Parts: sequence; C-alpha cells; structure tokens
Amino acid sequence: MKRITTVAMLACLAGSGAVAAQEQETLKIGALVTLSGAGAAWGQGMKNAAEIAAAQVNEAGGLEVGGKKYRVSVVAYDDKYQANEAVTVANRLVFEDRVRYIIGPVGSAPVLAIQPITEKNGVIVMTLGFTARALGPDKPFTFRPNVTTAEVSQPQIDWLVKAQGLKRVGALFPNDETGQQIASDLEAAYRKAGADLAVKEFFERDRVDFVPLLTRMMARGIDAIELDGNSPTTAGLIVKQARELGFEGKIVRTGGPATQEIVNVAGQEAAEGMFVHTPIDADLPSTKAYAERYAAMYKHAMNGFSPAFYDGTNMLFEAMRRAGTVIDTVKVRDELEKLGDFPGALGTLNWTGKDMYGIAHQLNAPFYVAEIQGGKEVIRARCTVEGCQ
Amino acid sequence: MTISSTPLATSGRPIRWLAGALMLVAALAVPWVGSPFIVHLAVLVALNVLIVNGLMLISRCGQLSLGHAAFAAIGAYASVLASSRLGLGFGAGVLVGAVVAGVVACALGWVILRLRGVYFVLVTFACGELMRLALLDGADWSGGANGIAGIPAATLFGFAFDTRARFYGLALAVALLSCLGIWTLFKRPLGHAIDAVRENPALAESTGLSVHRLQVLAFVTGCILAAVGGALQVRYIGFVSPESFNTAISIGYVIMLVIGGRQSVWGPLAGAMVLTPLPELFRGAVQTQHVFYGAALILILRFLPDGLAGLGRLAWRGGR
Amino acid sequence: MDWTVLAAQASINGLIVGLLYLLMAVGFTLVFGVMRMVNFAHGEFYMLGAFSAYFMTTGLHLPFLATVAGTFIGAVVAGALLEWAVLKPFRSDELNGMIATIGLAMIMQNLALMFFGPDPLSMPAVVRGATRLGTVVIPTSRLYVVAFALAVLALLYVFLRWSRPGRALRAVVEDFDIAAIQGIRSKIYYPLGFGIGVGLAAVAGALMAPLFSVSPFVGATPLLKAFIVVILGGLGSIPGAAAAGLLLGLAESYASLFLSTSTADMLIFVIVIAMLVVRPKGLFGKGEA
Repeated sequence: MKRITTVAMLACLAGSGAVAAQEQETLKIGALVTLSGAGAAWGQGMKNAAEIAAAQVNEAGGLEVGGKKYRVSVVAYDDKYQANEAVTVANRLVFEDRVRYIIGPVGSAPVLAIQPITEKNGVIVMTLGFTARALGPDKPFTFRPNVTTAEVSQPQIDWLVKAQGLKRVGALFPNDETGQQIASDLEAAYRKAGADLAVKEFFERDRVDFVPLLTRMMARGIDAIELDGNSPTTAGLIVKQARELGFEGKIVRTGGPATQEIVNVAGQEAAEGMFVHTPIDADLPSTKAYAERYAAMYKHAMNGFSPAFYDGTNMLFEAMRRAGTVIDTVKVRDELEKLGDFPGALGTLNWTGKDMYGIAHQLNAPFYVAEIQGGKEVIRARCTVEGCQ
Repeated sequence: MTISSTPLATSGRPIRWLAGALMLVAALAVPWVGSPFIVHLAVLVALNVLIVNGLMLISRCGQLSLGHAAFAAIGAYASVLASSRLGLGFGAGVLVGAVVAGVVACALGWVILRLRGVYFVLVTFACGELMRLALLDGADWSGGANGIAGIPAATLFGFAFDTRARFYGLALAVALLSCLGIWTLFKRPLGHAIDAVRENPALAESTGLSVHRLQVLAFVTGCILAAVGGALQVRYIGFVSPESFNTAISIGYVIMLVIGGRQSVWGPLAGAMVLTPLPELFRGAVQTQHVFYGAALILILRFLPDGLAGLGRLAWRGGR
Repeated sequence: MDWTVLAAQASINGLIVGLLYLLMAVGFTLVFGVMRMVNFAHGEFYMLGAFSAYFMTTGLHLPFLATVAGTFIGAVVAGALLEWAVLKPFRSDELNGMIATIGLAMIMQNLALMFFGPDPLSMPAVVRGATRLGTVVIPTSRLYVVAFALAVLALLYVFLRWSRPGRALRAVVEDFDIAAIQGIRSKIYYPLGFGIGVGLAAVAGALMAPLFSVSPFVGATPLLKAFIVVILGGLGSIPGAAAAGLLLGLAESYASLFLSTSTADMLIFVIVIAMLVVRPKGLFGKGEA
C-alpha cells in the first residue's frame, strides 16, 4: 500500500506539473484508517477512495477554491483498529501535519476516542464508525457517508419478512463494538417487522469454527440465519459450515457488502439463494465508472464501502468550493450540510438523520436487496431509508 | 556489596548527576519546546515508565508477568466507575483503582506466586485473557466492546488537568516519583532482600527471608503501579475499552522492560523512552516495525541481557 | 432435534476439533519436553503450514497428500535450522528462551503480513458436501481431516516407539541428563525435537487450511488452544497432551450447547488457572513447578 500511495502521489505531482506555471499550494487531507489487522479491507477502501477523488481533482488542474488552485494530497496513517492508536494518529494529523479534514476512522471505538480532539479543533471527520453515538448535535464536525444498520436494516427486514416469510431468525455476531451495536439494532428491527430474532450468538472475532454454535442454533428451530455484522470471511465460513451441517433455511445478510468474499469462501453452491444487502447497483453508470477506475488503479476489486467515501470526499471538495475557503472549516461545514441532491457514484445523495441522531450528518444513499445467483448479485428490491420495493 | 562497586567509588559520579539533571531539564522543557504531538508522546512515555516500573519490580523479584495490562485495566475501569457510579473525584477514583488492583493482586498473587518460571508466565497470561473477556462480556457495567466514552479530565483540588501540558506535568511527576521510590527501595535492605529472592530463592529462604511474602509484596506493588498508570491513562485519553488492555499490550510492556533492562532501576525509563515514540518513525510500515521489535528482542536477549540500561552502565564504568 | 441426537452431534464435533487440538498440543509439548522451552512461535508455524498448503495446492497444483507431506518436511527442516541458528543460546534458559520465541513469533507473523497481505485467502476445498452417520451430520471435509490427522499421529507413534531417533527423542523428553549420559547427543536432538514439534503444527495448519481461511492471523487461536491443552495435560507429557486435547474439544463442544461462547471461554480459563495452581504438572505431567 505504501508503494501505491507513492505512485498515487507521483501521479498527482505529474498531473500538477502540467500546470506548474501556476503557484500551487497543497491541501492535505488526512486518512485515519485501519490498514492492518481486522478492518484493513475497509480501511484501505476508504483511503483509496480519498486518493482517487484527490487524483481526479489534481488531474483537472487542482482544486479551485476562492480563486486559488490546490493540489490535494492524502496523508494516511494506520490506527490498527485501536482507540488509543487512533488518538495518537489524530494528534499527529491535527498538530503535526495540520490537516483540517480527516477521512476515517473505520471503527466505532476509534471515532469516539478522537472526537474530543477533532471537535475541539474544528476538524471535519468523515467516519465509517457504525455506533449511533458517533453523530450528534454536540459533534457538529462529524459526518458519516456510509449507511449503517440503523438506516438500512428496517426497510430491508420489512421486505424480507414480507416477501420471503422469515419468522424465527438466528444470528451470529463478533464480540466487538460493531457486533454488539448491530445485534441490538437488528433485534429491534425484526421485532418491528413482526418476526423474531430468537437466537443471538456472540463469538470471539478470530473464531473460525462455527459448527458448535450452528448446531446449537439449529437445535432451537430457526428458519433463517442473519449474518450482518460479520467480516466477509467470517460470513463466508458460516455460510459454508451451515450448509455442510444441512441447514436448509434462508440465509440473509442485511448489511455490509461482502458478496464476492462470501462466494469465494463458501463456494458458489453454498452461497446460492442467499439474500444480501448491497449499496451498489453495478449497472448504474456512475458506480460502474468508479469501480472500473478503482480496479485499474489498485489491481483488485473495490470494497463495498469505498464509493461512499469517494462521494464523501467529493462532497467535501464541493463544499470547499462553495465556501470559498479551505481553512475556515466552520464555513465548509455549513456548505457541506447544505448540499442536496448531490450526484455521486452511488446515485443521488442527500443528508438525513435528524430524527435519529439529532443532526442531519448521515448520508442517505439508495441501497438494494439482492439475491446471489450463480455467484453474482441479482437485485430484487430497491430501497431508501423509507422502504423497499 | 563490595566497596569497589558502591557509587561513591566510581569516578564517573559527577558526570552521572550532570547527565541526569540535563535529562530532567529536557523532560520539563517539553511542553514549551515541543509541538502538541510531541507533548502527547511525552505523556505516553511517562505513563509507560510508570507501568513498566511496576513490571520491573515484579521482575526483580524473579517473576515475569504476561498479564500486566490486565492490572492497568483494573485501575482504569475501577477509577472510572468509581467516579461515574459513586460520584468520587479524580484523586479518590485513582485511589479506588489502586486499592482494587492491590486487593486482586494480593489474592491472586498469594495463590499463583508459588509457581515459578514459565508456569507463572502462563498463569498471568491466562488471567490477562480472562480479564479481557470479562470486560467484553460485562456490557452493563463496562460498556462492553464499546467501552466508556466521555471521561472527564482529571481534577485535583479544583485544578483541572485538561490541557496537554498540565496533564504532562502530572504524569511526569507521578512517573518520576515511582522511579525515585524504586531507586530508594533498592538501596534499602528490603530491596536487597528482593534481589536475593530472585538470585537464589532457596538460599534466601534459608537465611530467614520469606520468599513467598516478598514476592507477593513485589507483585502487589508492581500491579498497583500499573493500576495507577491505567487510571491516569484513561483520564488523558478520555475513553476506555477492553481492547486497550489485551495481551499484545502486555507483550509490549515486556518488550519495553527487556529492551530497557530488566534488572536496572533505569531500565523501564530507557525502554519506554526508546520504544514509545518508535512506532511514529515506522508509521507507514507497521510490519517492518514489528519485525524490528522481534529482532531487537532476540538480539538484546542474546548479546545485551541487561538491556539498554546495561549499555549505559558499561559506559559509566568505562574499561573496568 | 432431540437431546440424544444433539449430544451425539456435539460429541462428534468435539472429537474432530479435539483431534486438531491434539496435533497442535503434541508438537508444543514435544518442544517443551526436549528443550524446556515454551514456544510462543508455535502458532506461526501453524500459519506457515496453512500458507504452504495454499500455495502448493493453488500454485503448484499438487494433490493434497503431497501437500501435507511436503509441508511437514519443509517445516521440520525450517524448524531445525531456526533452532540451531536463533534459539541455540537459550537452550537451557527457560524464561529467556520463551521471550526469544515471542520475538520470533513477531518476526514470522509480520514477514507473512509483508509478503502475503492481511486479507484472508480461501483455499479450494478438498471435498465438498456432508456425510450422514445416522442422524448425525458431518461435513465430509472434516472427515478427511480426521483421516489425515490419524494417519499423521500413527506415523508419529511408530516413529517414537520403534525407530532409534524416536526412542532417543523420548529419552531426552523423559530425562535429559540421563539421556546425555547414555550418549544421546544434544546437538542433533534439540534441532530434531524442535523441527518435529513445529512440523506437527505446520501439518495441523495445512490440514485446516481448506476448512477455514488462510491469513497471517490464523496462528493466534491454535497457539492459545495448545497452551490450554498442554497445561491441562502436563507440560512435557505427550500422552497428556493427547488426552487433554480430546477432552478440551469435547468440553468446548458440550459447553457451547448450554452456555454462551464467552461464558464457555471464561470457564476454560478459570479451569486452566485452577489447574496451574492446584496441580501444575497437569493430569499426566512430570515437570516440577
């Protein structure tokens, strides 16, 4: 990754060299993401998203704000998915590198840990963290570009219960902050939809053998397994082992894009017929263009959260343009909030969340329920926060 | 102790005091000279010195604890819960953390310190994991994996340590106090007794020392130091979660101790000073950093068993 | 599912998992028995075994049997070399040797991260589907693993019982000093013991690779299980490791029927601590505490 960052930076330099005649200042965007261990796939997707957005802007001659052109560069550090590390990195980004905009962190604990620093210093943060506590009226500089369980689960679960007849659902979650948060969100959502999340099993994040847990769950008579909250590989392993144990009911995953991984690990046969959440309509031209660019630049397929952060970074750039400043983050923040019907890689984007969090800093993007057929996602329902068809 | 090894006989004594004074001045000057990030690192160094001092005390008594972070966790969570549930202030909270850790260490240590060597290490490892699992599971009181956020800054007698520089002063003071305490201890008979227990437990026992009681004393004191460090740390970061106290952190403390020097009073200081800022140099390349740590560990164990502090001692003694 | 079927399923699950724990633990206890060294790098050899299986199967397209054999031989050689090159100074130094293996583990895991990246890789399954024995369902791939594991263990038993180096190794594990007096040379048996010990770990990794995913992080859990099994069975006792491995597998399987996973995990640790305190030698061990 370090090599690719260097290549990306060299590309930016090459791009900006073409307009060397103009004095170019550098705008530094910080990326405080997980680049090692659990969550590395998401962290790298976020960092790459910011880099692609930066590269595109630099190729066009730089980010034009208030009459000046800026070369955008992404300064990325690894927080190892740990709150303490995130605090150290935030210190470094805010006080040493003097960034005012941070993409990241990935985890809920890290974002809660760094908010005292970023809010106090007026640093705009675009985080993936799923916890409901990340957003609030007391945290005016934090935004979340990706939809979370709180947004997507109810509409999807309503549809799944109605259209697929789920009644008694079992779910497995890793014993970390994301897993615990998602577990409570899902339990409420299923209850509201008229079904029952009867069995909840928590396991150590590194676990690979789920046969005992699945045996126990199947003995309690469930007709469907819910896999939201699990890492892609874990979800794949659970699917494989469940089918091997002879589980015949439906398997669903109402959050967290992971289909390719699941098919890789579980095999096409086991994954057939599984219902998954997907934030991406691969046929949408804007999404397709982004996916292709990502694959060309980084030589592997993008992670499902990546387009959200690409859009988030672009919205940040647009807000800067409208505010006419890259330094006054209060103004930039106000313009960012005012952005509506923004054309992004995911579709038309708006801010939402006033009811749930007290502040509209959650991005509302369209999402879909798809069924895995022959190893590929086939969209079965189109959704917004309001509902699915 | 032979006459030739007492400090007074060493010709390098004035130089030693000068070097020490210079380092003290440098440490005090950090908030004025360094950027906020440097001060942040300095705070972490001070807290690590405190915690690893505790580990060194346990090591001086002949045992190695691979669950040290668990006691930092006890100090951290106990002090935070004392403040949030019982309404106690910062000072009282830290006291509660220290007392709880001391009691747990005493009860645990009384039972497990009969074991030696690798068996003791494995038990402390198991205890560390148990603590982490308990914290993850007890979501009602510990906040589970989400932890507890929004911990208010430390205040003593109305003075709030809410800026980085102020907290650094507090952390530095406590760390130096612990160093001073340990240095004094090892000049006293009690310190010599602890060393004797490490070097030859059977002989020590036969001269009338109670090996078990001394080891429990060292263990309890060491764990209390860790607890105080943990309690301070959470006030600084403002957030606590079980993942900040897992086995990898315990191993990190052991690395600091071994590389700094297990038997020297200045070992933890050297280890913390070198190893705390080191990740910042490597921050683009985390894996290289860990490969370096592993290699350094093996090399130090092989060629420099007294660690960096031992190097220092070689320098003082010259060609003795 | 009624309770007898559930119990039967749990028993089979437990025995299969226990067999894998056994493989890890026997190697671990062999290293301790020969060198008095707690090998924190044992899990990383498991991890390397998994990667070796992955590359041999997907890259070189070798059949599974050849993969397992090749992995074992490679690990024995690599382990022996590492022991001779890095761990020799620590041969009689328990505590420092253990810390050195911590360093070794860090180096191995991070080199793997640097070369292979953090993302889990999926090995194509050796065989798919499930077998039914009456009402009990067993994934066929696990049956394969059981068969291979039993084969490896049989070979190990034959080696230790009837071959000269094997008997010498057992003598060294029993009592090093007497073995030395009898003329058994430490120069050969230290590296050999270490090599075979970590070779078993690598074989465990290779066998598990098709079942679960392959990544630089897969070594941590098997190491933990090896610790637990060896403590319960007795550090240095091979039969103890075997018995305790199966017992742990069964205990975990039954516990998961009634308790939540975290409670079960905590219970296991409490039992470990209790065992260390009450009977540090374990069920069958002979070491002094």
